[in-house]
Amino acid sequence: MNAAWSPPCQVACPISTDVRGYVSAIAGGDAEEAIRIIRRVNPLPSVCGRICTRLCEKACRRAQVDKPLSIRALKRFAADQTSGIKFVEEPGESFIERIAVVGSGPAGLTAAHDLALFGYKVTIFEAQDLLGGMLSEGIPEYRLPKKLVKAEIDNILSLGIEAKTGISLGRDFTIEELLKDYHAVFLAIGNQRSLLPKCGGNDLPGVISGVEFLKSVCRGQIPHLGKKVLVVGGGHTAIDAARTCRRVGCSDVTIIYRRTLEEMPAGQEEVEDAEREGVRMMYLISPVEFIGKGKIERVRLVKMRLGEPDASGRRRPFEIENSCFELEADTVILAIGYVPDAEVLAQNGLNISNKGTVRVEDDTGITNVRGVFAAGDVVTGPLSVIEAMASGRRVAAAIHHYFRKTEGKSEKTHGTLQPLSEGVLTLINKSERQEMPTIPVEERIHSFAEVDLGFTQEQACREAMRCLNCGAGASVADNCAACLTCVRICPYGIPVAGGELAEIDISQCQACGICAAECPASAIHLGIESNEDVRAETGRIIEFARQETPDLLVIGFYCRYHSPVGPPFDQEEVYWIGKWCLGRLNESHLIYPFELGADGVVLDMCDKDECRFKDGVRRTKEYIKRARKILKETGFGDRIDFISEDSYFSVFGEKIGALGINPLRTGKKVQA
Amino acid sequence: MIVAELKPFDEIRQMLQGYKKVMVLGCGTCVTVSMTGGERQVNLLSSAIRMAGKLEGNDLVVGEKTILRQCDPEFIDQITEEAVKYEAILSLACGAGVQGVAEKLGNACVLPAMNTTFIGLTDGKGAWVEVCSACGNCILHETGGICPVTRCAKGLMNGPCGGSQAGLCEISRENPCVWQLIYMRIGKPGLVRLIQKTAGERKMPAHPRRMVREDLIPKRQPERE
Repeated sequence: MNAAWSPPCQVACPISTDVRGYVSAIAGGDAEEAIRIIRRVNPLPSVCGRICTRLCEKACRRAQVDKPLSIRALKRFAADQTSGIKFVEEPGESFIERIAVVGSGPAGLTAAHDLALFGYKVTIFEAQDLLGGMLSEGIPEYRLPKKLVKAEIDNILSLGIEAKTGISLGRDFTIEELLKDYHAVFLAIGNQRSLLPKCGGNDLPGVISGVEFLKSVCRGQIPHLGKKVLVVGGGHTAIDAARTCRRVGCSDVTIIYRRTLEEMPAGQEEVEDAEREGVRMMYLISPVEFIGKGKIERVRLVKMRLGEPDASGRRRPFEIENSCFELEADTVILAIGYVPDAEVLAQNGLNISNKGTVRVEDDTGITNVRGVFAAGDVVTGPLSVIEAMASGRRVAAAIHHYFRKTEGKSEKTHGTLQPLSEGVLTLINKSERQEMPTIPVEERIHSFAEVDLGFTQEQACREAMRCLNCGAGASVADNCAACLTCVRICPYGIPVAGGELAEIDISQCQACGICAAECPASAIHLGIESNEDVRAETGRIIEFARQETPDLLVIGFYCRYHSPVGPPFDQEEVYWIGKWCLGRLNESHLIYPFELGADGVVLDMCDKDECRFKDGVRRTKEYIKRARKILKETGFGDRIDFISEDSYFSVFGEKIGALGINPLRTGKKVQA
Repeated sequence: MIVAELKPFDEIRQMLQGYKKVMVLGCGTCVTVSMTGGERQVNLLSSAIRMAGKLEGNDLVVGEKTILRQCDPEFIDQITEEAVKYEAILSLACGAGVQGVAEKLGNACVLPAMNTTFIGLTDGKGAWVEVCSACGNCILHETGGICPVTRCAKGLMNGPCGGSQAGLCEISRENPCVWQLIYMRIGKPGLVRLIQKTAGERKMPAHPRRMVREDLIPKRQPERE
């Protein structure tokens, strides 16, 4: 696939995943190809398929038409479908340098994976007993099953990475000591200290940290919470803590957040899930004081209003005077933010910012200590998993460069695709976003079983088909004769007469292929599938079919949009080839099977009004007419038809029966 | 542009009788634009020739090539080396292109796959119409930009005949009467002046014509590799 124009989803992805590529593979029923594409950049597909913050979906242009593609769910589908398959990666080279990776969260794991693939000897140091950082001990089981995390970590370790657990920076070793045994150190220890709200009673028993709470639940130690729990914060940790509380028996769980749903770092879907499970949300509320004798009993709260946006771009909350009120609470869980353990970092000679994070030169992660690199939460404060992975990847490349002075790959991009125009929008069919199947709410709050069940094969296929193939449309080559056929034939009116050649706006092109099929100079190339690709696929299928030596050999072209789950009907002698709309096949493609020995060609496609690309059906009917004429003139007879299952036998079967098999297949000469 | 139509397949087949190696040569300019002789048509016709050949037990070697213009020797140079491998060149160009290739390739056998039909316009809806006869004596400035020499079925130069009915030509009701069109555009006084001036004074060209531009010929030919 021509990836010259990166689609918005790929541009938005911090690790630049070829989303269009893997979504297209899923649409074509090839989950293995999809996971291969994902794994090129992502060693944690199961994890990201479940908890990624989905910047891709926010960029998806399908949202202009109806709703964005459910990209994360498709990634999960690809990972789940291929969980039994071992994907072996091997470093191309081997270097003598040893590298210590301190911290095994997503940043550390990704860097370790990349460095091992570059050919370095990597050792991971992890303070906890389990590898994975927040993946293993912060995110609850019902969102991210631990066995999947373990499987992906084991896969990363299988690259020959050594892991030392239960050994902590500051307590058990120093960076100076590490540098005696290792040529470079990558520090990705994340954030350990909870931020506390500036109000009295922080230290009362019963006021606990959200992350600590989640970690102890992950370890199977459930603290005594009482009935009423108040969770303070609006991030993923706050929601995770609240939903976990429901699962360990707290009947009255409330999240208080000082801004509104709109500003909340946690996504709307997560909030909705929490509410379904009985968590109460209170917005524009902030704690003032934690009150109690010997333990937390009540919380004094104040109402807030939103002012102008602050530096983070979110509207800044202000207290409303005389709006204080109190709520009872048996436990308060604080989840308002986390910072690194600045003391340990400073003791190790690192430059620390006033926020307590490690100062680095730029996104290469170079610190003030020679040979020491840092990235992830310890540098930036809390990040999403995917952003942490991206930071780990950049540092791995920087470390490789540090040793080998390699030139970084500068990937040329053409620029950003523009939003779909109003005119084109009205011509794109709407399609429903597939809903993620979940276990019923009643069951959820009694267990830690994973809530989301994942798409079925059909759902995944249908969802993947919603992809608009942004940036994979038509481009005009220099041999364009400027005949302007494309201008006249495009169902979306996108090509225009340029100064010398026809011009096609790649931002608006829907990749239907109708122009490429008709272009008399063969000068239009589709990013998604070239004319040569179509011929090559036909060639492969016929070669395969001929090896089976069937009595009859019929090639069936079907529209994948019309029959998403596979060929429209089963018929022994029909070898099916699925296409994303048949309008991209011209008469050349239709007669080519005969040149290779096929006895017939059938086409199964949708009704005119159903066509995804408006004009595909009409084009195909024209091409069938032309192909018929050629077959007649060359002496093959009428062996091609537009068919449904019902008419296959009555019309086509008889016709082919009468004509007999293609003489080119028998090798017999035919007397004209 | 020059418009040409593909000959009936049977006629092409007849021409190719006895040849085993044929190069199908497209032309990337006029006939590509009129959808009959470009790269895609080359590909399609080659398939058809191969298939028909195989049916007769004749395994033809069919090469496919398209050059930008068959009426310029420099473009033909691009295929001369390859052309020697074939017994015949089936040209998908206008008559000029076919002759250009034949001239350049010397004694090679160059066959026309097309019938060159006219100099014309497209209406952008799949139709091409003849509008110019290359008569060498243009009067479009006087006829409101409409050519009676080409577009009057009878070639009349002195106004409409009695067969002009309801604005249509009696010879083919698909065609408008060109004199009616001219009248609509330039009005009655203009038409009267025009007929007085042009009637009876058409000079027909003497073939073959030639255009020479000595100013474009360098005194000394530069050496080329």
